[in-house]
Amino acid sequence: MELYTKSATELGRMLRNRECSAVEITKASFSRIAGVDGKVQAFLTLNEQAALEKAAEVDQKLAAGEILSPLAGIPVGIKDNICTKGVKTTCASKMLHNFVPPYSATVIQKLENLDYTLVGKLNMDEFAMGSSTETSYFQKTANPHDLTRVPGGSSGGSAAAVAAGEVPLALGSDTGGSVRQPASHCGIVGLKPTYGSVSRYGLVAFASSLDQIGPMARTVEDVALLYGAICGQDVMDATSASREYPDFTKSLDGGVKGLRIGLPKEYYGEGVNSDVRDAVLQAVKALEAQGAQVVDVSLPSTPYALSAYYIISSAEASSNLARFDGVKYGYRTPEYKNLEELYERTRSEGFGDEVKRRIMLGTFVLSSGYYNAYYKRGKLLQQKTAEEFAASFNDCDLLVTPVTPTTAFKIGENISDPLKMYASDILSVTVNIAGLPGLSVPCGKDQGGLPIGMQLIGPKFSEETLLRTAYTYEKLIGGFDPIPTL
Amino acid sequence: MKDYEIVVGLEVHAELSTNTKIYCSCKNSFGSEVNSNCCPICLGMPGTLPTLNEKVVDYAIKMGHALNCTINRVCKQDRKNYFYPDLPKAYQISQSDIPLCEHGYLDVMLDRQGTMKRIGVTRIHIEEDAGKLVHDDSFAGSLVDFNRCGVPLIEIVSEPDMRSSAEAKAYLDGIKAILQCLDVSDCKMQEGSIRCDINVSVREKGSETFNNRVEMKNVNTFSGAVRAIEYETKRQIEVMEAGGTISQETRRWDDVKGVNSLLRSKENAEDYRYFPEPDLLTIVVPEEKVEALKQSLPELPHHRLLRYMNDYRLPHFDANLLVENLEKAAFFEDCIAIGGSQPKSITNWLLGDVSRILNEKNWVLSQSELTPENLMEMIALIESGKISNTTGKTVIKVLMEENKKPSVIVEEKGLVQVSDSSVLEAIVDEVLANNLKLVADYKGGKTNVWGFLVGQCMRASKGKGNPALLRELLEKAIAKL
Amino acid sequence: MNIDIKRVAKLARLRIEEEKLDKFEREMESIVAMVENLPELTDKAVGLDPSRPMGLREDKIRPSLKRGELLANAPQTQAGCVVVPKTVE
Repeated sequence: MELYTKSATELGRMLRNRECSAVEITKASFSRIAGVDGKVQAFLTLNEQAALEKAAEVDQKLAAGEILSPLAGIPVGIKDNICTKGVKTTCASKMLHNFVPPYSATVIQKLENLDYTLVGKLNMDEFAMGSSTETSYFQKTANPHDLTRVPGGSSGGSAAAVAAGEVPLALGSDTGGSVRQPASHCGIVGLKPTYGSVSRYGLVAFASSLDQIGPMARTVEDVALLYGAICGQDVMDATSASREYPDFTKSLDGGVKGLRIGLPKEYYGEGVNSDVRDAVLQAVKALEAQGAQVVDVSLPSTPYALSAYYIISSAEASSNLARFDGVKYGYRTPEYKNLEELYERTRSEGFGDEVKRRIMLGTFVLSSGYYNAYYKRGKLLQQKTAEEFAASFNDCDLLVTPVTPTTAFKIGENISDPLKMYASDILSVTVNIAGLPGLSVPCGKDQGGLPIGMQLIGPKFSEETLLRTAYTYEKLIGGFDPIPTL
Repeated sequence: MKDYEIVVGLEVHAELSTNTKIYCSCKNSFGSEVNSNCCPICLGMPGTLPTLNEKVVDYAIKMGHALNCTINRVCKQDRKNYFYPDLPKAYQISQSDIPLCEHGYLDVMLDRQGTMKRIGVTRIHIEEDAGKLVHDDSFAGSLVDFNRCGVPLIEIVSEPDMRSSAEAKAYLDGIKAILQCLDVSDCKMQEGSIRCDINVSVREKGSETFNNRVEMKNVNTFSGAVRAIEYETKRQIEVMEAGGTISQETRRWDDVKGVNSLLRSKENAEDYRYFPEPDLLTIVVPEEKVEALKQSLPELPHHRLLRYMNDYRLPHFDANLLVENLEKAAFFEDCIAIGGSQPKSITNWLLGDVSRILNEKNWVLSQSELTPENLMEMIALIESGKISNTTGKTVIKVLMEENKKPSVIVEEKGLVQVSDSSVLEAIVDEVLANNLKLVADYKGGKTNVWGFLVGQCMRASKGKGNPALLRELLEKAIAKL
Repeated sequence: MNIDIKRVAKLARLRIEEEKLDKFEREMESIVAMVENLPELTDKAVGLDPSRPMGLREDKIRPSLKRGELLANAPQTQAGCVVVPKTVE
């Protein structure tokens, strides 16, 4: 078996047993990229030379008998909205086409301390706004399971790279489903952690109160490994939670006996494709057979959550993206006569339409006379949604839902209809709205052979339970599908 | 012309003298090389996040206590969105609907007789300062120095309670004195560390309603504030007298030209789109901390002024000089504690000869050897008639340089007051003998030579003669002639 | 719902091409319309959560970034400063 097909956990084991070297692992990753990324187009920037140097350093450390972390020498791809010092970080936008951060995100520093290998930066929807990775200024990423289809988004590059075997691990970010939805479309595992469990310092903000960085991999164990490496309180992020986290890889084996699985009826409604619904319910049955109990629950505010999500996220985005003005970094329009022209032209030329649309919406809902009608109502609905989730967890330990109503759509199919595009987020945004953890787990394929994902949602800081449940399922079905042939 | 009354409200922005900036750990300092106190956070780099400096909260709460405010232990920060090159994030983190402190007041003294007026303090909130734009005629563009970005500010908003520029000045002086006394701001006007926006409206005297107010920005000195208020009052009255109306607008004060000009009208008012800052959680200050900060407050300058005037019957002039100089005030209080003399006698020396000598030597009090004990003993020597006031002036010079008991100095230098009539009579006789012409003038009605004759006698006694006795003897001797 | 799209664009410092104005307006209005379906909710203060108090930072200086690194991404610099078109009030 080729090295590129192996999981990070397996590669780490092989490395420690001297069955292969870090340089070999890194080379395998870059050779896979060279072979398939022309089709998949997941990477925006490759970091090959530095990665090989890093791998050589890991090999030297191992040779010197140093005990290294399980992530040492493991190739990781990073979504291009996470700042990497000295390595271009574009947010897939013309606005930051040349931006080289002078600092690294906290998650990057943590991974560096564990001797990971930065393979490169991954494509995404511009500023993480989108569900298909089609709003990238640079390129369209293809779904490795069907190159005519989108990988989902906004972390489409991350999902595609992992699914295509270019890297065993990737980081994405999730504001309304941007880790879980592409993971689902690409048949991999993706975790949107509890808000506040992973530092956002260095993640270029889309919607500060909803954004979380999340791990993506082909196995549950790998997701647990990467999540354990990046979570934890950070003094640089005032919204990060103060608590201790366990080693998530140590508690995967516990099984699901007695676990109460809630099925919120609002998540299985008409809009959900029947293949998707059947596959998720099939997976629930399988867990039930392992001793889990299934209960019906209701989350009545769900139909309204999408509008609350678009108001809150756009409002925050309109403010977060105001700093891109051609003054301090990034794109500046070549022609301007005065300050106002510099601002307007830079921003109009530097941002794509989807970003502009959200900035406009956000500006509007915050503007004088509309704040109470829109933004405030959105925030009130957010509170109500969170309360409903909290109440549902009195009756169950976790919820299982589909991640998205459909499997991956064709490239170009929805891009001209933002509302249709937004509707695909309806099952995932509530998790961000309520600040909960959500795990996307592959659970079969539709009639066209496209991956389907189920979403496990738990109370705050219940990642251990989510991962254990997913791991149980993964073992039960004998592992997820292998990397598709490309 | 009708009788008008002006209504003034003030927004004072004071930079806090913390070590670091409000939302990052960069040094908070003035006058550094351009863009040398900056990091990715205060430059608003993509991905960066703010973290709130605990000292900023402490300082603002102290000021809140000093201004008798309610402290909102639970409050939040908000974003104020606007585009300008000196604001790297394109929003200022500030506080909108829930400020850290609100509903306070400051009692200000309007005159030397001690007439007091209470000025309401609407709120005090914390926020970040913006950077600086540097313009140069030789250069077509503007340069941005981000050093000041993130310097912590408190904004103190008053009620529209002031009715003259003098009241506004008294309020501003009071705020400044408290900021300095609490050591939360150095209030260096020339460095822009305290600035204000002024709201002015004019109405007919006796009216209860407020007319449209005009906000004036860019007022960087307190004397400028007085001029700005007077200018704007005059402008509004002229408009009203000409039958016009005042519209709500923002004007920019030009201190050099002494005029203001329209910055923006109400129609063009900025829409700041305030919303809760999602990068920061709720500020929750423990009750014990709020209380501890209250207990930590020193006596405030305006309280001290009143105490000196009321308890020690000091005139406003003396009391104010003491309040402005905490070292002298402490010395004064030590003297009072020793007791034995009138407070006014103490300030006469402390603010008179002692201050004069300090000035000459360019010293502060602690650089001299003078102790409260020695000063009080010297005053006692004068009051008991052991030495004359004139001798005291000699003794104090010594006391400033040597820590020695005044009685010892008097002894050593032979400065004890001479009250022996026979000795003094001889002196008087001699002086008269040498000034027969003046004596004749005096007797002829030119009484203004009296002082000269007394002075001659004092001099002849080497300053030691008991002045009262000398005068008595002189009078008698002249009468006999 | 009528959105003054030009005013919003001005506030956001964006120029929307004339031919796209209508499309933007329609899209925004349909999103805003979703919001208008929101149920009535009890009004209370938003943005406060005393159950999660914020930790504050110690007032201790840490080294700033070197100016060269700080301004390395700036489109135009001069004399250690970022350059913008002349701002006149």
